[in-house]
Amino acid sequence: MLEVATLAAGYLGQRVVEDVDLAVRPGEAVAIVGSNGAGKTTLFRAIAGLLRPLSGSVVLDGRDVTRWPAHRVAKAGVAYVPAERHLFPGMTVRTNLALGAYPHRPDHETLQLVFDIFPALKERLHQRAETLSGGQQQMLAVGRALMSRPRLLMLDEPSTGLAPKLAKDAFEALRGLKQTGMTLLVAEQQVPLALSIADRGYVLENGRIGLQGSPRELDQNPEVRRAYLGIA
Amino acid sequence: MKAVILDGIVLGLGLGLLGVGLTLVYGLAGVLNLAYGEIAVLAAIIVAQLIAGGVPAGLAAVIGVLAGATAGILIDLTLMRPVYRERGGHRVLLGLLLTLGLAFVIEGVLTWRDPLGALSINVAGGPVRILGVPLAVGSVWASVIAVAVGAALLVFFTATTFGRAVRSVIQDELGAQLVGISPPLVRTVIFGLSGALAGLVAVTQAMTAPVSVTAGFNLTVLALIVSVVGGLGSVPGAFLAGVLLGIVDSASATYIGHYITSIVLLGAAALTILVWPSGLLGSHEG
Repeated sequence: MLEVATLAAGYLGQRVVEDVDLAVRPGEAVAIVGSNGAGKTTLFRAIAGLLRPLSGSVVLDGRDVTRWPAHRVAKAGVAYVPAERHLFPGMTVRTNLALGAYPHRPDHETLQLVFDIFPALKERLHQRAETLSGGQQQMLAVGRALMSRPRLLMLDEPSTGLAPKLAKDAFEALRGLKQTGMTLLVAEQQVPLALSIADRGYVLENGRIGLQGSPRELDQNPEVRRAYLGIA
Repeated sequence: MKAVILDGIVLGLGLGLLGVGLTLVYGLAGVLNLAYGEIAVLAAIIVAQLIAGGVPAGLAAVIGVLAGATAGILIDLTLMRPVYRERGGHRVLLGLLLTLGLAFVIEGVLTWRDPLGALSINVAGGPVRILGVPLAVGSVWASVIAVAVGAALLVFFTATTFGRAVRSVIQDELGAQLVGISPPLVRTVIFGLSGALAGLVAVTQAMTAPVSVTAGFNLTVLALIVSVVGGLGSVPGAFLAGVLLGIVDSASATYIGHYITSIVLLGAAALTILVWPSGLLGSHEG
């Protein structure tokens, strides 16, 4: 579904990520793990069209979307939820969700799916996004992304700003989404959380893919354990 | 007293219509379009020449509004390109400089080609009495148009998908891109709408008093005052501020003297910035 080949991206000519190859197959949940500053956000921004790649290619369902602007990539079926969420603060939960379906009117089935996953949103339909708690804002960001019925859902650090219990809940919700057949690409610093839902994982280190493999392989790799799991 | 307030409301609705086109572009694109009044004057002169050439006033007015829209779209697609590459304070400053330059150019060309040009539209009919106060029929029509357009704008921004998309770009441009909205397209449409509103203002103002070739600067300043008091980017704010300022203007003209009104209006704008820096209705809502 998504194929990224020899991608390099960065700011002001400085390469933050380089030579990244990765693939996501339909129905798969893929985790990108790595410490703060490893380049996860830069990589995601480049895939989503918010940052023009310096070289390499991004292919979605056989179409080369490498230099497309972000709004076209979104329409092609990639829903990207950044760590800062970028909700519409002064609008209600309902309007935020409705805009997720742009340019179409929100359809009932999708809305029902979002409420099934996040019942809290249904109770707060008329509340402004800026008055929601951090956890609820994260739910709304994911809910808004789902409203477009995306082919691929990309989440950058979904645990950001959430208490450990809420972060766990968020990943439980993602597991539920995966069971509905949604294809997921998740970047996360909290390696155990990310590996708990992933089919495969990539370790991003200093802007390059270091290791890749199944959650089991990564979990048992001594380097990963030392660096990210805090286990000697 | 009743007459003063009613006159103020009539004046204020016109001010609201004037301010709304400027405030929208600022809220959306971060550009204070100092050529705004000149677009209105350009439309006014086009309408005046069409009428002088025998075109019926209604058709001429429609062409004037379309001319304003075209001017807005052209400014967005050409002059604003380098402005959009900048962010924050740099964008505001570059936008101010370029639109100010454009204002000089338009005013210069118009006063050179048509130094005595002015648009005035006579609406047939005697004064209409409202609450016992006689009002010129032209003023009544101008107010009706302002209210209708204000209501249409409110419906557009709250109840239509594209209107919501515009507000979403005002609130979070990156978030808007993520749901598939193209900010450049939205900006072009709103610049066109703003130009159309400038053209419409030229027509409604001409129903009460002539709009001359030199009126541009004054119109821009009035639109700026209304925008600041109402809250930059707010449609209801522009109309609320317009009506309040219209009443202030009418009262100060009646009880103090006409010479004082621009000072009073600028004072009201300065006071608003001190007391409510974001304007009367200047919140997140566009």
